[in-house]
Amino acid sequence: MTATIPRSGPPRATSVSRWVWLALAAAMLLYLPILLTERQIFGFRLSNMMLLNIGLSQVNLMLITMLGALSLNYLTGSAGLISIGHAAFYAVGAMTAAITGSQWGWPFPLVLVAAALCGAVAGLLAGLPSLRVRGLYFVLSTFAVHYIVVFVFMEYQFKFFDVVGVPYKNATLGSWNLSTPMRWYFFLLPLVIFVYWLLRNSLGTREGRAMQAMRDHELAATANGIDVRFLRLKAFALSSAIAAVGGALYAYYLTNVTSEFFGIQFAIQFIAMIIIGGMGSLPGAVVGAAVWLLLPSIINGLTSQAGDTTGLLRSVLVDHKPQLVQAIFGMLVIVLLIFAPWGIAGMASRLKARLTAWWSRS
Amino acid sequence: MLIQVLLSGIALGSIYGLVALGFAVVFKATDVFNFAQGMFVAFGAYFAVTTINLLGLPFPLAVAAIIAAAAALGVIIHIVLIQPLSGRPMLSVIMLTIALSIVMRAVIEILYGVQSRTLSTPMPTGIFIIGDVRVSQLHLVAAGVSWLCMAAFGAFFKFTSVGLLMRATADGHEAALVSGVNVKVMNRLAWAIGAGLAAIGGLFLGQLQIVSTELEHIGLLALPAVVIGGMQSIPGAIIGGLLVGLIEQLSATYISPKSSDILVYVLLLMILMVRPWGLFGQRELGRV
Amino acid sequence: MSPALHLHDLSVSYARKGLALDGVNLTIPKGGIVALLGANGAGKTTLIRAVSGLLPLHNGQIIRGSIDMDGQSILGLPSHKLVRLGLGQVPEGRLVFKQLTVEENLRVGAAVLPRSTEKERMDAVYELFPRLLERRTQAAGWLSGGEQQMLALGRALVIRPRLLLVDELSLGLAPLIVSAIYKQLKLVGETLGASILVVEQNARLALDFAATAYVLERGRITLSGSAQEVANSDVVRESYLGVAKEGGKA
Repeated sequence: MTATIPRSGPPRATSVSRWVWLALAAAMLLYLPILLTERQIFGFRLSNMMLLNIGLSQVNLMLITMLGALSLNYLTGSAGLISIGHAAFYAVGAMTAAITGSQWGWPFPLVLVAAALCGAVAGLLAGLPSLRVRGLYFVLSTFAVHYIVVFVFMEYQFKFFDVVGVPYKNATLGSWNLSTPMRWYFFLLPLVIFVYWLLRNSLGTREGRAMQAMRDHELAATANGIDVRFLRLKAFALSSAIAAVGGALYAYYLTNVTSEFFGIQFAIQFIAMIIIGGMGSLPGAVVGAAVWLLLPSIINGLTSQAGDTTGLLRSVLVDHKPQLVQAIFGMLVIVLLIFAPWGIAGMASRLKARLTAWWSRS
Repeated sequence: MLIQVLLSGIALGSIYGLVALGFAVVFKATDVFNFAQGMFVAFGAYFAVTTINLLGLPFPLAVAAIIAAAAALGVIIHIVLIQPLSGRPMLSVIMLTIALSIVMRAVIEILYGVQSRTLSTPMPTGIFIIGDVRVSQLHLVAAGVSWLCMAAFGAFFKFTSVGLLMRATADGHEAALVSGVNVKVMNRLAWAIGAGLAAIGGLFLGQLQIVSTELEHIGLLALPAVVIGGMQSIPGAIIGGLLVGLIEQLSATYISPKSSDILVYVLLLMILMVRPWGLFGQRELGRV
Repeated sequence: MSPALHLHDLSVSYARKGLALDGVNLTIPKGGIVALLGANGAGKTTLIRAVSGLLPLHNGQIIRGSIDMDGQSILGLPSHKLVRLGLGQVPEGRLVFKQLTVEENLRVGAAVLPRSTEKERMDAVYELFPRLLERRTQAAGWLSGGEQQMLALGRALVIRPRLLLVDELSLGLAPLIVSAIYKQLKLVGETLGASILVVEQNARLALDFAATAYVLERGRITLSGSAQEVANSDVVRESYLGVAKEGGKA
């Protein structure tokens, strides 16, 4: 990832072919929403199965969740801190959005900025324990912080709104109203790409690399005069800011949220996502969020044929599909932890490394 | 009335202490911070519904079945999930237990449905009235049984040879191996005890509250209990449980029902910042 | 008569550190006392771990060779089975159970014995180390280094082992205490008819105590023979016994 590490192996793909790949990817990403909305390609109708039962609104949710996964993996990969309660920052974002947007009527872009700022502050506060404790104790502190934040949200919800939830009006950028999934997509996609680029750059800076080098060394606190503990706080703040923006978007997208949305169950989803994708890596976050999106759809597709089963099988395949998805999701995490702790993205990069080595030998 | 609140705090705290004890045993023996302990509590409650209400087994038999099933579950989990990860960083194992809790929750909801259930047992549900104070009989039984179990465990741990071997294993893994202790069996025993105690807690909590997967959250209160009391200390876990029960009841009565747990987590955070090894634990450098 | 311990072409590798033992051949005759010498990191502890089944705990693996105790292969047997077969170990760093009392420490060691013999064996250990009897109800963590060493030894001896592995007995202890312990060890060995492998950085002590010796350097046996031969070899004199004078740094 850094330019200073000497590379060995086959010559890198020329810039021309890289641009071709990028162009292709861009084209696919741009065409995707049309594909999912029209559900046909060049006049050829695509069945639900072929599209893996995915709709554009799910892709949007995935993009919003991806922000959370990216921010969490950034935190883990750079500072080596694991935040079990990362969903708390989603709650912070949603609450900020409720106050500034729904109550004070600020324009949407400003709401997002406010969410980011509050998220950063919350992140700084939540990261303070890392100055005192590390490892298991720090994880427990994030656990406690999560409960506290969600409690605050719940109190807020019941004080200013009601049990139904906190409502959010339509999001508008200037005069452009985010009223259709397609519009959301074209707003979210560049945002996610921007965040990815931002985080990747941050990991590549001198500070970022110093932090990563010190990641697992608890005793060494400074490197080249940079106090790594404060770098960690910075990373936490950035990570929480992004998660808060994700939370605000989540709230606006769903137009109504309650404190239950941000419970420990949701927080655990993020952990599961990054383990499946690969902890500490940005591509891992993307993969993890994608799996989180695809899994329910695939399972829905596979079990749609089971309409006339009975008994336990029916209970599993038909009546409790969300639970089935969760069970498989959890088991996937377990299997990966035991056999491939570097996640799917990690497996891919190992495979690539092996192929590279094989290539350079032949 | 303050006395009443304190009494229910102690009663609930005793149950939490029991679950926390199970948690501490597993942690001391195998170094695993078992986030799925909450689900073991839920498991106990649901299994109780099956044996007592659905199958209609006689109560003593049902209780024995619950404990046996939970113990077996603990052992199986140790063999299938925990052993393969030995030598891995602690955080990996923690995440494994989190994933386990996801799977357990889903399986329970598939088997029993998402609606909550009621658990009715032959245990007394009446109320003792002593002067101005009303004491729930179920609370008394729950507290009594919890203390009995904790005492029984204490006696086992301190006075039996198997208990001695378990203490030795917790004291030093390698030392135990060198001395001929079958550490694998000790670890499995620890998990059996941890799950069994949680299930007993679930039996009571299931009847005191309602049987749903939300019991996981109540069971998870064992986590702050253990940390506040001191992660490596068995008496600390019990006292932590009592403290959590008292705080819960006091805040539920004097602040608001919704805030009952939050002070526990605030206290947890404070302890982590100020005295992470807990009230009764010992400072260990480079522990994690 | 098969040897008490026979290592043939033993090679051990660690997951992250690579090859630690390379084709080691070592024999302990029945009733014999063997010293294993070598510098830090030479692989002495690895060898002990390989014999006593502790390699998996340290991410190590036996990649080649055989280990036979009394003519029977013990390769791959778990530690607790080995103890039952009569293997006693006094590990590096003592590894006593700090929070258990002296008595409890011994009882743990004695747990593999049938109940009827337990008391008698423990009494034998107390006779051997009266200091332990004095301190029998104290937590082991409070004992002095020498007392802890006696305790670790006693814990291994309580089962009347056929083969005793002693790793770095002298580490951190005053020479007088170490000599005393070695004297008793010799006595015990003769009484029990036990075979003993002593791993030591302190070559002088080990060579006085043992009948045969091996020198381990970076995972390979570079010298072996009677204790006297080894003690007189130039290599050992220079590297392990201190150049020139007797009575140099021990």
